[in-house]
Amino acid sequence: MSAPLVSVRDLKVHFARPNLNPLKPRETVRAVDGVSFDVEKGTTLGIVGESGSGKTTVARGLLRLVPVTSGRIAIGGTDVTALGGEEMRRMRRRMQYVFQDPYSSLNPRVRAGAIVRSPLDVLGIGTPAEREARVAELFAAVGLRPESQGLFPHQFSGGQRQRINIARALAPAPDLLVCDEPVSALDVAIRAQILNLLQQLKRRLGITYVFISHDMAVVKHVADEVAVMYLGQIVERAPRTAFFARPLHPYSVALMSAVPTVRGGRERANRRIRLTGDPPSPIDPPPGCRFAARCPAAEPACRQTMPELRELVPGQWVRCHRVEVVGEVIRRPLG
Amino acid sequence: MDGRSTTLLDISGLSVEFRGGGRTARVLNDVAITLTTNETLGIVGESGCGKSMTALAILRLVPSPPGRISGGRIVFEGEDLLQASEQRLRDVRGHRIGMIFQEPMTSLNPVLTIGDQLSETLVKHLKLDARAARARAIELLKAVGIPAPERRVDEYPHQLSGGMRQRVMIAMAIGCEPRLLIADEPTTALDVTVQAQIFELLRELRARSGMGLILITHDMGVIAEMTDRVAVMYGGRVVEEASTADILSAPAHPYTRGLIACVPDLDAEEAPGADLLEIAGMVPSVWDLPKGCPFADRCAEAMPRCLAEMPPTTVLSAGHRVACWLQEGAAS
Repeated sequence: MSAPLVSVRDLKVHFARPNLNPLKPRETVRAVDGVSFDVEKGTTLGIVGESGSGKTTVARGLLRLVPVTSGRIAIGGTDVTALGGEEMRRMRRRMQYVFQDPYSSLNPRVRAGAIVRSPLDVLGIGTPAEREARVAELFAAVGLRPESQGLFPHQFSGGQRQRINIARALAPAPDLLVCDEPVSALDVAIRAQILNLLQQLKRRLGITYVFISHDMAVVKHVADEVAVMYLGQIVERAPRTAFFARPLHPYSVALMSAVPTVRGGRERANRRIRLTGDPPSPIDPPPGCRFAARCPAAEPACRQTMPELRELVPGQWVRCHRVEVVGEVIRRPLG
Repeated sequence: MDGRSTTLLDISGLSVEFRGGGRTARVLNDVAITLTTNETLGIVGESGCGKSMTALAILRLVPSPPGRISGGRIVFEGEDLLQASEQRLRDVRGHRIGMIFQEPMTSLNPVLTIGDQLSETLVKHLKLDARAARARAIELLKAVGIPAPERRVDEYPHQLSGGMRQRVMIAMAIGCEPRLLIADEPTTALDVTVQAQIFELLRELRARSGMGLILITHDMGVIAEMTDRVAVMYGGRVVEEASTADILSAPAHPYTRGLIACVPDLDAEEAPGADLLEIAGMVPSVWDLPKGCPFADRCAEAMPRCLAEMPPTTVLSAGHRVACWLQEGAAS
């Protein structure tokens, strides 16, 4: 197997909180706290988790849009955490970001054509004539009419705006596209259009995706590999089919069971694993397993020591004391 | 439904118009909806199809001007709310009919404590004194699953998480034990594990009080899990209405079929990378509704007639009606 396009090791992104009380020690938000994963070229890693799990911070850390506290991020073998300004700028040709909100992520005073052209201008790619041609090509690739280049963002619908966002991200022909909840702000019927577009681009251009979503069903639809995050850590990582056939971590099981489905109906609601409360705060989290306070299967030991992320089945990694392998059989505490 | 159920809400011919720039837009057109006690009706559709406007019209909260209820009847517990005086409506709103809005962040007053906001309706409608209202407020917070309600009652909205704020909104809506609860996308801003808690709470409440529930959502999974009957809205009209089982197993309107198929489903066994079914185009503007079927320009099965004429309502079976030319003549 060739080297992965993206390789992340022990990534930490911590933020210091403003100190309101000088007598107390400064608080640290451990938004991302030791995350590791690889993404093979031409595949999609889906990162799923609830609000506050740190999934967006992972995405931003990958592209160094937030300062990385520690860890290693290699893109195509180059450690981007070590790159200086000019080198990093050149590296940005290869990695682009699609934002969640198609309304606030486009400058309302710039015409669509110029928005899509802007990465080419900023990164100095091509002659002016080549840039024009590239923009026309991108408009066609994402399904926007060529004459709409002259329009302003407010003249487009939400779905069309997300197409502009995608076209802009594709402009420098990146290898890696990091999509942060690209369909969450869109109406249900429009979501399918954008998800299909992203899949077509993957097939046609061989793009590698890191796809952030809170929606399990969307992740199941797009991802080749799935990572579940809880409070700044990956609690489970597995190939799509294995993960959805048999999630091992109690949080993965509970999260999946919380999703209402058309076929499941009321029956599914009755069988649901109930989690109480909200995820705890990422400020100075407790010492043991971070899910222990809400976990129906937690034992006293879970609150004492942090479980390691272990590879229990080839390719399936789980951070849980309670998942065991006995002989050939895997015992999971829930599900 | 069991034998004890009685009609709670009977809406017929409801139309709402908005005026602006010398033009008139029909945002609701001949909407008919009924609901019994103990029953949950789901309203589905995309944004701009009239779901929330229907909820606002029931409470006579259509912003006016520019909006106006231009026709129809909204009979709630035998009384036509469209004929009721403003004073009478104030007694119905928040008392007999509770409403949960979509945005828990903006629906609470940031400068009043949770307890103050809960007490307001209790003092007004149930004529409780301040002390009794506070005790009841704590009771309500407990009922909706907020930990340490004695402490939370004196906190301000910004001190609560999104899930807790939405629970406070539910506590406010159920405070006076309404006969009808309208919940407009009550969990859209929340995480799925919190959504599951809120739905469980709503199911418990319904079972305990026998209230009717109208649940507005765009999520077919939520429909399957929570509702007894469904009204599918498009272009300000109810284009299909049926029992939840019928809607999900035998959807008759192409729009309903599209809504079910266009969303990835966790249960579906699809090949990786397979395309989702798309509903092409987008919802028409209310200022620019076509003459014929409002869905015709997005419908893969549209015929010339669909563009020219609005289809009549066809009754397919008891309780299943659809407005689509494809179904004309399919009546039972």
